[in-house]
Amino acid sequence: MEEKGRIGIPKALMYYRYFPLWKVFFEELGWRVIVSGGLGRRGELRYLEDSCLPMKLLLTHCMDLKDRADHLFVPRLVSLHRSFIMCPKFRGAPDIVRLAMEESVSILDETIDLRVREHSMLRSFLRSGQRLGATEKEGKRAFQRAEKCFVSFQQGWEDRVNRLPSEQVFHLAPPPEPTETPKKPFRVAFVGHPYNLFDTDVNKDILSFAKNLGMRIITPEGLSEKEIDAQVSDLSKEIYWSSGREIVGSLFYFLSGGVDGVVFLTSFKCGIDALLQEFVRRRLKLRGGTPIPFLILSLDEHSGREGLTTRLEAFKDVLEQRKY
Amino acid sequence: MKVTFPHLGTMHIFCKTIAETSGIPFVVPPETSRKTLTLGVQHSNECLCLPFKIILGNFIEALQRGADTIVMVGSGPPCRLGLYDLVQKVILEDMGLHYRWLTIPPRLTWRAIWKNYEETKELKKELTWKNILLFPYGLRMGWKKMMACESLEKLAMKVRPREVKRGETQKRLKKALAWVDEARSLRTLAEALQRGTLSLQETEQDVSRAPFKVAIVGELYTVMDPHINRGVEQKLGELGAEVTRSSWFSTHILRSLRKNKAGQASERMRFFEASKAYLGYDVGAECNLSVGEAILRSREGFDGVVHLMPFACMPETTASGVLTRVSKDRDIPILTLVLDEQEIEGRVQTLLEAFVEMLQWKRKAASVFPKP
Repeated sequence: MEEKGRIGIPKALMYYRYFPLWKVFFEELGWRVIVSGGLGRRGELRYLEDSCLPMKLLLTHCMDLKDRADHLFVPRLVSLHRSFIMCPKFRGAPDIVRLAMEESVSILDETIDLRVREHSMLRSFLRSGQRLGATEKEGKRAFQRAEKCFVSFQQGWEDRVNRLPSEQVFHLAPPPEPTETPKKPFRVAFVGHPYNLFDTDVNKDILSFAKNLGMRIITPEGLSEKEIDAQVSDLSKEIYWSSGREIVGSLFYFLSGGVDGVVFLTSFKCGIDALLQEFVRRRLKLRGGTPIPFLILSLDEHSGREGLTTRLEAFKDVLEQRKY
Repeated sequence: MKVTFPHLGTMHIFCKTIAETSGIPFVVPPETSRKTLTLGVQHSNECLCLPFKIILGNFIEALQRGADTIVMVGSGPPCRLGLYDLVQKVILEDMGLHYRWLTIPPRLTWRAIWKNYEETKELKKELTWKNILLFPYGLRMGWKKMMACESLEKLAMKVRPREVKRGETQKRLKKALAWVDEARSLRTLAEALQRGTLSLQETEQDVSRAPFKVAIVGELYTVMDPHINRGVEQKLGELGAEVTRSSWFSTHILRSLRKNKAGQASERMRFFEASKAYLGYDVGAECNLSVGEAILRSREGFDGVVHLMPFACMPETTASGVLTRVSKDRDIPILTLVLDEQEIEGRVQTLLEAFVEMLQWKRKAASVFPKP
């Protein structure tokens, strides 16, 4: 099939969870998918508003793609769960991108809101497909393939995170077989929004450093919804952000056992994290603390790699003392 | 039982009246001060929004003065306000303070009523029949007082830029609000309102002045409470700007009751429609309305817009990004003030002075080089 054009996907925000789905869908429709580069060593941050770092990165990545792509894919993510919603900033993100681009590139900004039938993942993608000139049948077929790919991608997630270098985690190739049987590593849970965990521009590639220190990384992606719900169902009020629920639920889940340590990565100025972090901290204190070491790392554009590594090394020392 | 509630502009007069008239014991938290804010900051973290910190501070101070039942308005997604109670409860518990919590539902749904019933079950035992019977009267009285306060404040906004002696309007307004607060019956209230209005109108005014028209938009808590916004409204007025805002306690109450479709509610719809030129979806809270109001005000011939938001506020951060573009497209000066716990009274004053000066230059330029 000949190439119809190029779709640019900014490497930011929910790219770090849904990229395989998006990529396969557009490729099935005959478009070439290009992904923005990283911020680089001396990368310049571009932004309109003083938001959190991941949001600022979205704009920076879009700027990078502006001249290379025919369409930019920046969906309006209102909700990615059947009853809970995303952070309000996600709702305005495509508009902010459009204003910053000054109409120089077309933006595919279909709304995804899983609470409403009209805006389900499938329908929203069909609409995107229609804008690209695909028929409904073609769109449906492409979406089915994409979904299949996405499901197989999600299996073996833990191996993928642990065995691949950070920049290759979201490549579609299957993860390599284990080469050597490692000595008993520390099982450390890394909790946070997916873009805080996997965007190396946000976290200065802290995951690969952790791997070098001999930690096995566990992420909340591996937990089922039931396990998370069990931790947050007894709250006096429902946490209505899906990401916030996932974070609080998985933090309590991991802190009640099963791992050697828990690291919580948050972005400075993230409203959800700021509120829930306070909640988790106080609730733990009221429950009489936790036997499991718990580290909160706050990230922003000024945080240096050295600062993070020092704290992670110290954290590892704590883990060692506990174990031996 | 001793009821308490957070501060929000003149809302304490409303709440106080209800409790007082129906004979329920209450504690008004001390006026929001530096100490309140320090308490709030101490027991939260840096990225929480300013309203959270101040409300928490209000509660701590009130509980220390003997209150034991907190009444707080609830709210829904997507803003953080909807989860204030979840986190504040844990914080107060951790501080070792004892309290009971009563949430007023933002929208009347069956679920909210059921929850409210559960929460009030315990409290009802402590209420006498007299309390319950007098409650509707208290509500009516409180509402009347609220409207009186708002009409006085609106009048003060008009008088302030024309006052001859700087600060006189503020003094008179304070007195007038105190009279309204003291009124015990509907008759004395009407008298107090009349007296206050007269007193404000009697302020010595220079009618030859043509004040600038400035609209204040933004997050409702920072717009409505002079302690949080460091008296932006008063400062702007004294610098010679006639201030307008569409965010009032009564508008928000009516909105949540889904009443008054013809009046203020439709005004909100108008703002919302206008914002569609820039925002393709309802971002939440006041974001779209801030953008929409700024657009409409520029069309209505206002000289400038002041946008207020607390630091790290999620919806308003998006609005501030869009507003920079609105300002450029519509040729209207927009000043965004990000408010936080820092002592920025002087900075706000300087920024506002510069802003008004800019408006002066703009007006001068328009008169020298009129647009064809």
